[in-house]
Amino acid sequence: MFRTKDVGAPPPFLELVGVSKRYGGVRALEGVDFACRRGSIHAVLGENGAGKSTLIKIIAGVVQPDEGSIRLAGQQVTFPDPLAANAQGIVCIFQELSLMPDLSVADNIGISNPPRGRLGLIDKRAQRRRAEELLARVGCEDVNPLERVANLPLSRRQMVEIAKALGRDPKLLILDEATSALTSGDVAKVYEILKSLRRDGLCLLYISHRMHEIEALADTCSVFRNGRHIDTFAAGTRTSDEIVQLMIGREMAHVYPDKPQRNQPPAPVLEVRDLRWTDRLNGISLTVGKGEIVGLGGLDGQGQRELLLALFGVLRGTEGEILVDGRPRAPGSPAQAKRKQTGMALIPEDRKTEGLMLPMSVAENISLAALGGLVSGPFIDREKETAAIERMVAKLRIKVGDLADPVATLSGGNQQKVVIAKWLLTEPRIVLLNDPTRGIDVGTKQELYQLLRDLADAGASILFYTTDYDELIGCCDRVLILYDGRVVRTLEGADITETNIVASSLNLPGAGAAATA
Amino acid sequence: MLTLSAEDRPILIAGGFVLVILAIGTAYTLTVQGTASFLSPAYLLQQLQVGSFLGIVAAGMMLVILMGHIDLSVPWTLAAGAMLGTAIGGPWAIPVGLGVGLLVGLVNGLGVAYLRVPSMIFTLGINAVMRGFMVMLTGGFSPRSMATPTMTWLATGNVLGVPMPLIVWAVLSVGIVLLLQRTPLGRYIYAIGNRERAAYLSGINTRLVLVAAFVVCGMCSALAGVLLAGYSSKAYQGMGDAYLLPAIAAVVIGGTNILGGRGRYLGTVVGTILIVLLTSVLSVMQMPEAGRQVIYGAVIITMLLVYGRGQKVMA
Repeated sequence: MFRTKDVGAPPPFLELVGVSKRYGGVRALEGVDFACRRGSIHAVLGENGAGKSTLIKIIAGVVQPDEGSIRLAGQQVTFPDPLAANAQGIVCIFQELSLMPDLSVADNIGISNPPRGRLGLIDKRAQRRRAEELLARVGCEDVNPLERVANLPLSRRQMVEIAKALGRDPKLLILDEATSALTSGDVAKVYEILKSLRRDGLCLLYISHRMHEIEALADTCSVFRNGRHIDTFAAGTRTSDEIVQLMIGREMAHVYPDKPQRNQPPAPVLEVRDLRWTDRLNGISLTVGKGEIVGLGGLDGQGQRELLLALFGVLRGTEGEILVDGRPRAPGSPAQAKRKQTGMALIPEDRKTEGLMLPMSVAENISLAALGGLVSGPFIDREKETAAIERMVAKLRIKVGDLADPVATLSGGNQQKVVIAKWLLTEPRIVLLNDPTRGIDVGTKQELYQLLRDLADAGASILFYTTDYDELIGCCDRVLILYDGRVVRTLEGADITETNIVASSLNLPGAGAAATA
Repeated sequence: MLTLSAEDRPILIAGGFVLVILAIGTAYTLTVQGTASFLSPAYLLQQLQVGSFLGIVAAGMMLVILMGHIDLSVPWTLAAGAMLGTAIGGPWAIPVGLGVGLLVGLVNGLGVAYLRVPSMIFTLGINAVMRGFMVMLTGGFSPRSMATPTMTWLATGNVLGVPMPLIVWAVLSVGIVLLLQRTPLGRYIYAIGNRERAAYLSGINTRLVLVAAFVVCGMCSALAGVLLAGYSSKAYQGMGDAYLLPAIAAVVIGGTNILGGRGRYLGTVVGTILIVLLTSVLSVMQMPEAGRQVIYGAVIITMLLVYGRGQKVMA
């Protein structure tokens, strides 16, 4: 069909017509028409569960549409499997990393098509050279191609993932939340790479929950909601507020709840003195007061994760003091950290491997941490358990069909709510959060912010690590900036600004002076 | 539309296969002997009695497999329980036999939970060590290895026509079902099998759970050894060799995921009955040993292939 607005523009590289997909009774995509062109960065926006992931999986050949057709450069195509899509130059970087942790970086980059020498054996040297070239292209010369992937921090692994994708000579590159684990320095590098790929005439599909990334990169934006394609428009023609409204289909109130006004510092609950662990933590001291939300900021990998794990008793061989209510209570394991007199809870970084038992039911996941208190005699008290679970589902508004369904069937935001519900049941007094909003949709994020504030108002002490500066500014009463395993600066009240955070994160010599002045 | 959970499907298939085995066996006896001896209550009770020993071993094995581990020390734990129990004799025979199982399970559990040795290696080593100990103890001689009267009664007696081993198996089964479905420990076992790291970070004392499950498994093996000594009226070396692989097969045929985290105890019971009946029917049909082994192995693989289908839903 001829459409007048296409006149003069090059024909779309990829075109989906009337594509629908159902999973059982759930409608993931409904009659979607979608097109993207070469030489452009096309942002796909929508809440979790809006159908973005399904769209990508269909384009990448991971799942097949129930209805509709796909056209690539004008030719009708079907992709029975990812390999077929790959052969047509469609390469996908998924949110979940696809690297083999025990193989080297070079092995991972060359995994699908390693250079071969005589006898058809893998030419290790050529493979290493190729890995070096690709790593240099993404600005990661510091990564040794012979290093095991498991030894790299998450942000480096993500860069390796991008290098691996480039190694497949993509024509259409899909990035699904590919920057969610990156440090701000790496994000800038990725921007440059993406822009140069655009100049090379690639078609780039970019999925992100971070609005400022979309503003910085995208040429075209498409918004999805409830499995439908809502609108496509040129970037810059809508404000972010308008875009957010399109995504959630309702008015946005204040994104962050109000912070309380305090005249004097709250009574300390958690005190840490000179905490050290290997070369990652170099003498951290901090206090978190009753009802306070303290943010942990700084560049990625400056010891924030290790600090939370050390507090929770996961790391062996830590030195220094951890006091709760003025008494030394350094937990030796999460089981000890959970006990009433310490009352800690940790929302871990990776909900899929650290927070949840994906195949187990929603109910079993929610009650797991508090199960010891839901017994009568040696047996689980089912009435008590069910009551507690239902209380949490209602309180956190977890969208769940049947509590007996595996937790894997929930959307990302609801999965994270299950992790939080699990810990709220233990009635923690100290809540440690490790980047809890990663890969979560806007609506759920807002609910989480409100929940954190409610918890704090009810007397909990919250230590909140996030890679999103916005959250540090919007949520936290105080922000501690970590650099090289030390707290280099504490920001309070009106001092919590993006400029201050960025400046102290880089540990610029002038930053501290400017603050004290 | 009939919907089945992933756990129910294998149990129904295995249950159906039990009926198929009985039907084939009966057809055979009807044509050859003109009787339906496989359907007589006496035959079925006798099979259940024989199956009890395997069922008890499989019950313990299931707990360990549910956590994603395995216990290969079953053969010599079983033999050691029987041999030391009978060697002590008297009223202490059974407590000592079970104590041996507890001890071996404890060592297995500590090795896996604290030394972090893969269970496949550690329990294999313990099996060899136990074998060495037993050879050393008996020193080529045959010490007193007669079963005590209590052991004999537990293995061959009956209450109101129900064989005692069957009663022991049933009581144990009720205990295991309560453990798995109604206690926190049972829930933790499933949790560890699904994702040990997440279980640990949920504040579960995962090491304690690992040790507890291995202890129960060791004691189940020893209990089977004690009963088996009573059944054959004496303990002997190598008496446990025939129980390791069938026990694992019974658990897996019952639908328990060999990688842990999923499975129902009823499946293990059905799996045990399937294996016992299959063995018995094949021998009655005078299938030569070689043919029996081929069919036995083929059945296990076929069942697992059938279960494997339909599990791609999660992808």
